[in-house]
Amino acid sequence: MDPTGVSGARSNGGGATREATGLESLHLGDEFRQDNVGGGFTALLELPPTQAVKLLHFADSPSSSSQAATVTGIVPPLHHSYETLTFPSNSALLMERAARFSGETTTSSVPSTSSVKTEPADETNSSQAAVNNRSGKRKDSDKKTEILKKKKNKSSEENEKLPYVHVRARRGQATDSHSLAERARREKINARMKLLQELVPGCDKIQGTALVLDEIINHVQSLQRQVEMLSMRLASVNPRIDFNLDTILGSENGSLMDGSFSGTAMQVVWPHQVIETEQSYHQRQLQQPQQWPFDVLNQRAWGREEDQVHGNDSANLHPNQVKMEL
Amino acid sequence: MQPTSSMKEEFLQKWQMGLQIYRPLIDNTSVSERMKAIKLSADVAMASLRRGTTCWSRALIQKTATEDNFLVRQMLSGIKAETLINKKLPKVMCHRKIVRRSKKILRRRKSRSAIEEVAAKARKLVNKKTQGLRNVVPGGEFMSNDVLLIQETLDYIVSLQTQVNVMRSIVDAAEAGSER
Repeated sequence: MDPTGVSGARSNGGGATREATGLESLHLGDEFRQDNVGGGFTALLELPPTQAVKLLHFADSPSSSSQAATVTGIVPPLHHSYETLTFPSNSALLMERAARFSGETTTSSVPSTSSVKTEPADETNSSQAAVNNRSGKRKDSDKKTEILKKKKNKSSEENEKLPYVHVRARRGQATDSHSLAERARREKINARMKLLQELVPGCDKIQGTALVLDEIINHVQSLQRQVEMLSMRLASVNPRIDFNLDTILGSENGSLMDGSFSGTAMQVVWPHQVIETEQSYHQRQLQQPQQWPFDVLNQRAWGREEDQVHGNDSANLHPNQVKMEL
Repeated sequence: MQPTSSMKEEFLQKWQMGLQIYRPLIDNTSVSERMKAIKLSADVAMASLRRGTTCWSRALIQKTATEDNFLVRQMLSGIKAETLINKKLPKVMCHRKIVRRSKKILRRRKSRSAIEEVAAKARKLVNKKTQGLRNVVPGGEFMSNDVLLIQETLDYIVSLQTQVNVMRSIVDAAEAGSER
């Protein structure tokens, strides 16, 4: 039952990520050309097409054309910055995406990975930009970007290990500190929105922030409702079962889930292990602290049961339960 | 990111620990009481997986602590329990209402152009949605940062999926067993 569900969901996730290759997945219109005044999500609406927001690492990686080198170059700085994040579950996914993105052409931008990094050095970048602004009264921000590029290029190797976000200004965009910070923040939000889109099924086809958020809200609500339904179902099952069952299942599954979790292999292996665990219950190396009370409690519970049928049932429960894959 | 098997395992262990606490009260005959016990222990188990690193987990633990303080204390053994339960609500919540009111007042003076109006409406819509998301995610009202909100939502969704998967398989096993 469940193995198909889980593997199906996994393949969906994989397919979705393959679809969202470029950064056009959010496809937010270019129609609103205004300065964003610090609104949170609304910044997303003004995201111009993702043409040239290159981040420093990947801008310099063309020198090393091999993709493996870029991946290994990315990985150490990512490790650094992730320690500052209090979001452990995301790091694996982002590293995976970094690997995938670096495999693409170097012109494609990859803000997702480095946008996760903290941005304390936006000040340094912006101070550089401010200096440029003051020194040369050039209207063409393109030239400003070149200067910034050169300066960044020089200090690129030193900065690789620092958790800095280097954002190159696009042509026609202001390069003062505020908009740089805003832009970096926008990139962060976009990157995370993309992850959310991949996580929530059916979200990658939707265009527009508001609808995506809608879907996310619906998904979260449905998950919460499912939890309630499941707990209701569990409670309405024979009460002796739902408290005993967990002990049985838990101790068995604790040991059985140590192995590989592939679907087909499991179903072959489980029948053997079922028999083994029933007999060698005590000998099994379980890491749970409640291991030994289980035996006592189970025996007491089963002794307490007046229902003969139920006693038989609990013996027969083992093969059935164990065949269920978690 | 899909729930990993180690996460599921850990959740199951903690959930059982919580249910064990209810074992002496196994004679609560009412289904709703049992359901509440199951749900609360599952929620605390899910939140304790994150060990207080995420905002939603802390908020969830606080919420269940208002309903069943004993359970939370037992399940989260250690200093962490005390600090988590006794934390007061952050004051950010008050400020947001004031800010919103002042923004409304400011907005009346702004000049309207065609493009601006559309953008403003779109912005309003998105803000509404983020507010809706804040209502759904536990502890969302205290996340003033949008980046933080999305991060928390991501983590919360993954944890919810683990919870649902584990619970579903147990319920299926239990129902299959009790059908005989």
